[in-house]
Amino acid sequence: MNIQADHTYPIRTASVGTICLISVAQAGTIQFGDRAETNGRIRALALQRQQDHTTSGDVFFESYPLFYRPLPSFSESEESAEQFLSVIRVNCSPNITVGHIQVIAAGSSASIQIGNGMQLRGESRIKHIRQYPRPRPVPPLGC
Amino acid sequence: MLQFTVVNHQLSVGQIEILGVSSASMLQVGDTDNVALYSMFDTPPESVIVGPMAPLPLPEDAGGSMGEF
Repeated sequence: MNIQADHTYPIRTASVGTICLISVAQAGTIQFGDRAETNGRIRALALQRQQDHTTSGDVFFESYPLFYRPLPSFSESEESAEQFLSVIRVNCSPNITVGHIQVIAAGSSASIQIGNGMQLRGESRIKHIRQYPRPRPVPPLGC
Repeated sequence: MLQFTVVNHQLSVGQIEILGVSSASMLQVGDTDNVALYSMFDTPPESVIVGPMAPLPLPEDAGGSMGEF
């Protein structure tokens, strides 16, 4: 599928001067270097309620279709793409340079990579639920 | 047969400043072949439950499974 044109660089190298990253969490990845395949996946139930979790019952991922509904798929298969499409890459320069990168946070199966990758797949399924007791009606003035 | 030619000229960036990379997103300095990112995020109005503090619904096989807390 990938044909390399002549008189060019076969691969580009990434070079970054400085990087400042505060937090990587929740199936996030940071990598300096090349990588073949990445599979980041996160399922999260963010439940906020006005009662202790220990007394107000369990929560299950299986209760919510969001966590088991299938992912949308492309109708073309990879074999057919290889039959119809040929990609030629011409790299005129052997380097990609970045002076400084500043990131505060990476999370929820996010990926930060300095270098080349082949296949990246990230999946994030998050459901928020907020559960509050109904506020009591305020009695009218003068009662 | 479709022929797709990509010419990568000089690429030089001074500074990148990002607040957050989140929910199946990517930041890459480099080349890649194949990227598939999926994100499902659910906060509909129905997800705010205001009423008596009843336990949340259990799945069908709740007896055999463990809770997430």
